[in-house]
Amino acid sequence: METLSKAALAFESPLTRRSIIASYFLVILLALPLWWNTTSIERQALPISRVSAQTGRELLFPVHVAVNTSASDINAGVLAQEVQRYVNRNEDFTRDGLELRVSSDAATAKDYQVNVRFGTHDPVVVGREVTVEVPPEHASVAAMRVADTLATLLAPYSSLKSLATASHAERVVSYSPRYRLAFTLLNEDAAAGNAALSWDVRGALSAQLSPFLERLSVLHNFTIESQVQYHGPLAFEPRGLQVAEKTQYGLTPEDLTVFVNSAEWMLSSSVSNDPVLHFIAFIPSSKHTPLRILDNNGIPTASSAFMLPQWGGIVIYNAETIGVARTLATRPLDNIFATFRQQLSALLGVPELPAHVQARSPGVSDWQLDALIRRRAAENTAGAQETLQSILRLVAQIGDMPVGEDVRGDVEDALAALDKTYSSAPSSAVEALTFASKAQVVASRAFFNPGMLALLYFPAEHKWAVYAPLFASVSAPLLASVIREFLAWKKERAAKKARSEQRQKVD
Amino acid sequence: MRLTLKHLLCLCLGIVASAALSEEFNEELDLRPLPDGKVAAWFSFSTLLKGATPRDTKTLGAEDESQLYTLFPLALGQILREYAVTELHLTLNAGKWNYDRWGYPDESGVGTGAELWAWMGENGPVSVDSRWRGLRNALAGLFCASLGSLDEQRTTSPVLTFQPEGFLPNRTASYQLRHATLPSEHVCTENLTPFLKLLPCKSLSGIASLLNPHMLLDADWHGLGVHVRYVEGAGVELRLASQAVLDPVRISREKRRDWSFSALFDRRIEQACPVARSSVIRVWLPQNETYAIIPSPTAMDSTYATYVVSEVEKPLDVAIRWPEEQNFEYPTAIKPQTHISVHRTLQGASQHAGRLALSVTNNHDTELQAGYLETLPWLLQFYLHTLHAEIDGVRRDDLVKLISYTPPLPHVQPALLQAIVTLPPKRTMQLTMDVVKPFLAYTEHPPDAQRGWDLPPAVFVPFASQNGSQAGSYPQQSAVCSTRMYTPVLLVDLATPDFSMPYNVIIMSCTLIALIFGMVFNLLTRRFVVVRVDEKAP
Repeated sequence: METLSKAALAFESPLTRRSIIASYFLVILLALPLWWNTTSIERQALPISRVSAQTGRELLFPVHVAVNTSASDINAGVLAQEVQRYVNRNEDFTRDGLELRVSSDAATAKDYQVNVRFGTHDPVVVGREVTVEVPPEHASVAAMRVADTLATLLAPYSSLKSLATASHAERVVSYSPRYRLAFTLLNEDAAAGNAALSWDVRGALSAQLSPFLERLSVLHNFTIESQVQYHGPLAFEPRGLQVAEKTQYGLTPEDLTVFVNSAEWMLSSSVSNDPVLHFIAFIPSSKHTPLRILDNNGIPTASSAFMLPQWGGIVIYNAETIGVARTLATRPLDNIFATFRQQLSALLGVPELPAHVQARSPGVSDWQLDALIRRRAAENTAGAQETLQSILRLVAQIGDMPVGEDVRGDVEDALAALDKTYSSAPSSAVEALTFASKAQVVASRAFFNPGMLALLYFPAEHKWAVYAPLFASVSAPLLASVIREFLAWKKERAAKKARSEQRQKVD
Repeated sequence: MRLTLKHLLCLCLGIVASAALSEEFNEELDLRPLPDGKVAAWFSFSTLLKGATPRDTKTLGAEDESQLYTLFPLALGQILREYAVTELHLTLNAGKWNYDRWGYPDESGVGTGAELWAWMGENGPVSVDSRWRGLRNALAGLFCASLGSLDEQRTTSPVLTFQPEGFLPNRTASYQLRHATLPSEHVCTENLTPFLKLLPCKSLSGIASLLNPHMLLDADWHGLGVHVRYVEGAGVELRLASQAVLDPVRISREKRRDWSFSALFDRRIEQACPVARSSVIRVWLPQNETYAIIPSPTAMDSTYATYVVSEVEKPLDVAIRWPEEQNFEYPTAIKPQTHISVHRTLQGASQHAGRLALSVTNNHDTELQAGYLETLPWLLQFYLHTLHAEIDGVRRDDLVKLISYTPPLPHVQPALLQAIVTLPPKRTMQLTMDVVKPFLAYTEHPPDAQRGWDLPPAVFVPFASQNGSQAGSYPQQSAVCSTRMYTPVLLVDLATPDFSMPYNVIIMSCTLIALIFGMVFNLLTRRFVVVRVDEKAP
């Protein structure tokens, strides 16, 4: 023992050795920030507080309704106050995002006007005016009647039973600034007879659809396309029925859900990403004529048209005279396109006029259009808010997801557009809609940013596969040396302690 | 957002114009017996959009007019309008067209794989190249073919060989050609099905009902073609064509060459297409042989029999029999059926260099000239100075007149060589050039890298020799036959890496580094002890 310690070399000292080992760890420690910096994923800070501030924020449209009672001897001011009281009690208005102010002031161009007079007729709508008639003996109910009429006209989505149902909400297509309308004349089998080889689609479009589309041009742009198909077989065999000693063919409600044979019918449109609404005039082959739609009990219904939610509409045209027509006759064509217009209107979410309200002129009234614009603006605002929150949730959930400069820019743009939506809502609903749809578009662009997918191509497992061969093998001697030194140090201490005890004993 | 007055005006004008606009559909089938017992079938379905003009490039940024079609396929019409394509040719072929035995095909585009070329106007708000990219991808989606990979590395502009077949409307704008081939494309049912869906009668009635995928894809050679051109004064014409070389001898049990629709296609024409303006079947009759044809044709002369589908009795099952022939004897030698015969080979076994050799034979008694087009992807780079022509062992470089050459740019663009060769009568010319094979980046290899790369076919356009005036310049289709002849494709073997290499390299270098580290570390931290050996010890 004594001889060995004397034999220690001059450069041998436990301190040097330990500092060498420590310096290795020091280098590793110092290199860590560099490693972290070079391998970290770019994650821009998103404006979390501004996005969460959006929750609970609702779009409110202040609307002024002027009450005009010049045709009757009712006090306009009193009536207005009474109507306001009823309105404040009715939650349908706030549910549809309305802040209604009723007064007897004169109406400006963008205000609504209610004319109250004596009579027994149903309310009549002209422009932004509605004329409500009250029987003279029931003048006291005038306020309630006016308030009810206003509710069904201004807040149709909450007050009208037919629009408030869930199935209605599922039917309406999601908002897009542009839709493609694809009209198809589909013959089940033109070679087997009972077919129309062409149709005057331009005439029908200009007669039935153009005024409607023009009316809605504030909300959407439309691209129109049409085609004729001569062989569009069904994917199933319609059920045969005997009705009044005649064979008819029926489509059960289940059949309607699989009616569109997308494998055989060339309906898809490949050149743009705009949503497509399909409208199909289906002419069954002579083998399947007449083709009727059955109700749940298997009884043929009078209707020959049905809608597929968010997809389009189908009209079955059972030709009365079986044969091959060069061109589809004008009268059935007009009927078909009138049905298409109704289906399109339902798909776009245009509210119906309440059953008891008459319109002076055909087409979509200002009340309906305004309600639709407010509805779409509110939808887009809510959609944009939801998308922004989803982005935040997603980014928080997946730690390795890169968030680039463009994503942050889009999120900020969407927030700016949302702010503009709120600030423009009091002055113009159309402007609010424009900003809201911009916010929605930008927010979903941020959500679907391809840069956020980088994670998919270089997952953490691959990183470990690359690191492990080097770091695992390098760390083995490093750790071993630390353990060895630690043991040696302990042993040394124990030896020193033993020595001092021995010395004490000796003393 | 707003429907402006201009749009309304356009709509009104469109309505007025629509009165004159109508569409026309014609279908045609040509059946031609070939000398080697096979039957060449050529289906042609043409739809004419009367009075229509291709979209003006300048209107690309603005709202397009409504596309209201009756017979014209909407899916294709949308693509043509979206990218303002004036002329379009897409062919998808499988197999090797044997010019020597089968002669000139009815459709000249018979190059193996996919070939797409389009003429598009310039000077619009959208550049030609971005529209070409969009067109490729849209057609790839429509026909389920990998046309999307016809990128800049495969696109050339061989204007001299691919002249427009229709008319280019003169709108004070120049036009550009884009051409690309993908020889490795395999043509199968997934391409035929969307093709059939573009036909007004699909494959359910009329002549198209003979297009049975099972028999068609079993043929010795089969191909699909989509051709869109603008015919001045008539309108936009879309022609969907399908060609096949069927082998009745192989199908029949008795080894006879008798054929019928039901034997060749396993189908008959059950009903006429109700919207076809004309629907004609032409059967070329055998010459100097005894034969029988049933049923009796609508019209007949010495060269072919004609059936008008709407007039003959259905189901129609045309059949030809050679009653005197017991079984078909393959002719041992068939005289070449075309003016010139071309063979192209790639010589040399190494993965570094090689030699491209063509042998071009003039089968004619007079001197011929031929346009020669070679579009080589940059993965085969040739040295232009090594291009030599030889006839009977004598060097005749004077017979090759170089017209244009675009060198390849590695990883960017292919090489384009266009030349005119003069072929003396009944002689064979040997054309050779040295090529090198470059190294490809690790990521540039396809998934089946070991298979090799397909070289696109070379194209020859034979035309009669012209004296004096036009020598040196390219003749404008003034040819004996303006048809293009495609050589078979070639397979290039490039050096392929071992694709597990990156990980091997990582492991290998990590092991080395770890070893070095271990040694150095061990040296630095080792406890050196001097052990004195006791001298007194025994």
